[in-house]
Amino acid sequence: MKKIIKVNQTLMAGVASLFLLAGTVQAKSDMHQLYEDNCASCHGSDHGGYIAPAINSETLKGRSPTALRSLIMTGSFETLMPPFYGRLKDADIRAMVKYLQSTPKQNNPPWTIKDMKKSLKIYVKDESTLPSKPIYQIDSMDDLIGVAARGKYGRGNGSKAIFINSKTHKIVGEIDTGTAAHIIDFDPANSRWAYVKTDTAEIYKVDLFSMKAVRSIKTGYNGPALGVSRDGKYLMAGSFVPHNAVILNSDLEPLKLIELEGVDPDGKMVSSDSGMIIGTPFADIFAIALENAGQVWVVDLKDGFPITKIKNVGRHLHDAFLTHKGRKLMVASYDDSIVIAIDLKTRKIIKKLKAGCVPHVGGGAAVKVNGRTLGFGTNFGTCNNNTVVSVWDLDKMEVVKQIPVSGGTESPAAHANAPYVAVDIITKDRRARTIQLIDKKSLKVVKTLDVGGHAYFPEYSADGKFLYVSAGYAGDEVVVFDSFSLKKVASIQMESPAGIFSRGRVKYMTRGLSPDEME
Amino acid sequence: MKLLFISVFLLSISSVQAASIYAGKSKAAVVCSQCHGVRTTSAEAPFPPLAGRDKEYLKMALRQYRDKTRLSEIMNNIAGSLTDKDINNIANYYSRQK
Ligand code: HEC
Ligand code: HEC
Repeated sequence: MKKIIKVNQTLMAGVASLFLLAGTVQAKSDMHQLYEDNCASCHGSDHGGYIAPAINSETLKGRSPTALRSLIMTGSFETLMPPFYGRLKDADIRAMVKYLQSTPKQNNPPWTIKDMKKSLKIYVKDESTLPSKPIYQIDSMDDLIGVAARGKYGRGNGSKAIFINSKTHKIVGEIDTGTAAHIIDFDPANSRWAYVKTDTAEIYKVDLFSMKAVRSIKTGYNGPALGVSRDGKYLMAGSFVPHNAVILNSDLEPLKLIELEGVDPDGKMVSSDSGMIIGTPFADIFAIALENAGQVWVVDLKDGFPITKIKNVGRHLHDAFLTHKGRKLMVASYDDSIVIAIDLKTRKIIKKLKAGCVPHVGGGAAVKVNGRTLGFGTNFGTCNNNTVVSVWDLDKMEVVKQIPVSGGTESPAAHANAPYVAVDIITKDRRARTIQLIDKKSLKVVKTLDVGGHAYFPEYSADGKFLYVSAGYAGDEVVVFDSFSLKKVASIQMESPAGIFSRGRVKYMTRGLSPDEME
Repeated sequence: MKLLFISVFLLSISSVQAASIYAGKSKAAVVCSQCHGVRTTSAEAPFPPLAGRDKEYLKMALRQYRDKTRLSEIMNNIAGSLTDKDINNIANYYSRQK
């Protein structure tokens, strides 16, 4: 009861100030700060949109200020837009609406290597003081599952990276991340380390044995892209704002800044957002997708970090997954609705394969069935209700099937030992509460599970026995199912969970492939 | 200060299922959880938690918001379009959450 009373008091204070402060005039620089502190992590520091739509004088032109104020107060149901009622003063919400409707999309603010170096924070000075093994009970570090708990407001006390023992479904560690965690990547060479990247481009280096952050650095304003090299010695991080990527060593010291610009498939020179960045067990390289330039760059991890540029890959590239021991890369291209197979050895395009509407492959999935290696690609879009999950034969590089599913999808999960490929339906209505299960053999949807919240980012435990799914947005739990019976076996509470990352992935590279012989 | 947005939205999802907890769940999951969460409210938000609260208390509070004997700009708007059945279902659902 104590908590309730306290909460009601803050609330009363909030409501009171709502009336007291109406009429305060806000300076423009204050509004910029208020925007940075509350909105930019989702809508972009440049007002150009990020994981939420662009909000600026152009996009909000002619919209009713009253309606916008209501929307900001209550949030938008069944989306990530949170309610700011009681959190921001009414006067500030009104001033914010005015500010947004009069502020154009901003130029890319600079964030240089110098800025990065200045932002490096060291929490554990002497890493030799860290424990030599996990301080909690766990059979294998591969059993760890990391969840990006966004926090309702995308920042603050609810924003954490939460680590779970996927055999007991108990939380073994929590790392505060300040703003919403977006990506968790594990060091393939040393099971001690994980890296967490936030929506506001901070990277936390986490010691998984003691469950403590040891260092952090801010690599930009917004952007989730992060990769770890196969030897664990290098990281690469890419941003939406500004348009660059940086190579760091494992002490989070920035080594080289790379500006992302190039000629797009239509012949135009463009500055580009960073799409996915991926390290591969195949070689000492990183691959990075330049979203708007439609190019994939391969960076060699040697003196000077030379770059090979693969051009004309597609229009608006986003994410990708690996196959064939990490030699082949399957890259999704939003605007042409294709997935492009790239050979990382020859650094050439192998083939462009048809996907569904706006392919978003998430982490991708690949399974061996009857001697064939099948890749599964989810598709974001809902063109004329033609919603499918694409299946390709990854040896022959040809389309096998476009499996009808009930809505747009964002991320597939598979495991060598589990019978189903799980996909999250994200279409904005009740369907968003569900995931669908595709039988690996028949390639048909055999079951729909109502998970609750906004169900997304399915992931199997390293042993394939359990399926984890986030019930996010306004939901506040991760739900665990038995992979075979599909019965709910556990619920783990946290605020607005999103991406789920099994450490098992470093073993099988792409979800669904066998952990014993990397395929 | 009318929050048209909420009322319109509530109308469009009002459901008629007989299974009361499920009906309560579907409304709570879409609307109420936006501010109150399902099990926990946000560490960052000033909204009172509803999970595991006394069923009769929840019903009373919602009726008071509906007939405006308890004043709250937001809750008066939201409760304004709830039927007795909705109130029952939602109170049933939230009181059972832990
Ligand atoms: C946690 C992420 C997040 C944060 C933080 C956030 N928003 Fe949003 N916002 C969204 C999403 C997602 C949408 C799209 C909602 C939809 O599709 O209905 C949105 C939509 C909006 C819209 C409507 C845009 C349109 O074109 O209809 C406005 C205006 C807006 N937000 C303002 C704000 C303001 C002002 C802040 C800060 C005080 C803020 N948002 C903070 C995620 C966020
Ligand atoms: C946009 C945010 C918002 C939404 C959506 C919302 N509420 Fe509320 N709720 C509030 C606020 C703010 C208060 C505190 C009002 C006050 O001071 O009395 C509150 C208070 C309450 C209380 C009183 C709790 C107590 O401790 O006395 C109940 C019960 C309640 N809400 C139920 C609901 C239900 C049921 C729904 C869905 C139909 C809902 N609310 C949707 C913001 C919201």
